[in-house]
Amino acid sequence: MRARLAGAPPWYDAAMGVARTIVEAAVVVALSAGAAAIANAVREDPLPWVATQEYAVHGPCPEPAGEVTAIRAGDPLIRDGRTLVIDARDETAFREWHLPGARRVEFDWVSPVPGAALADVAASGAAAVVVYGDGGDPDSGRELARELSGRGIRNVHHVDGGAPALRGPGPGGAP
Amino acid sequence: MIARVTPWIALAARLYLGAVFIAACLHKIAHPYAFAVDVATYGILPLALVNPTALVLPWVELAAGGMLVIGLRVRAAALLVAGMMVVFMVALGVALARGLDISCGCFASSGAEADPISWLTMARDGAWLALAVLVIVADRAPIGLDRWIGRRDSR
Repeated sequence: MRARLAGAPPWYDAAMGVARTIVEAAVVVALSAGAAAIANAVREDPLPWVATQEYAVHGPCPEPAGEVTAIRAGDPLIRDGRTLVIDARDETAFREWHLPGARRVEFDWVSPVPGAALADVAASGAAAVVVYGDGGDPDSGRELARELSGRGIRNVHHVDGGAPALRGPGPGGAP
Repeated sequence: MIARVTPWIALAARLYLGAVFIAACLHKIAHPYAFAVDVATYGILPLALVNPTALVLPWVELAAGGMLVIGLRVRAAALLVAGMMVVFMVALGVALARGLDISCGCFASSGAEADPISWLTMARDGAWLALAVLVIVADRAPIGLDRWIGRRDSR
């Protein structure tokens, strides 16, 4: 039985109990921080207490993804004059080679397609949109096509195998 | 009847929460970098606080979980658990409101596909918060170090 202060109000014990609990919790946090510091210090690869550069986080990816159709590199739709062809690769790859008449809309794995680029695609009046990317796994062309479709562009396709499939045999092309 | 049973329900809740928090901290303690990435992915804390959080939080989980299991300073441990659950729920709520498709990071860094955040995660955390409050309010430490220490002190 703990001693009670003479003349203390009825809530005194309860208040002291709450205060004691909070102090105990704070002590546990302090001791935990000490244990964390010791454990981190003896690690072979300690984590620095202050990160010096931003973490490369995977996401956010809140963009809606729509249905798209995969077409082959030889599909006549690609050469159709009413089709808008989009290259989803970066500028360096685009400069090196791109399909004649293709418009570059680089796919960013983290950020959504800029509104202006999306508006350009929507305003093109094309009957179909064909996207090709790096042909990797995952393929940037397929991902961009899904994003465009999810954001309201209709009749979107992507080239199976991407730019390497379109280039065909030769340096950087499909065998 | 209820008054007699409630402390035993609180005891079960105490042991369950303790086991959950011990299980939750092990991967984070072993892989602090992976947990730091999980913390950073929520995009709530400034960069300077990401690593300290990733380093200290799992040890607080371990301490609170261990204290609940062995029955040492049960109310303080349950208060810590309740506080952590509130923090986790706020972080989850912000992430869900932003539409982030990320890993929960609650137990192991298994990626957004295997361990995605959702409103179910929020409901689960809410249930654990309720259990922690039950322990704070109703636990009389029928089993544990607190009772043993209390008996020793009263001799």
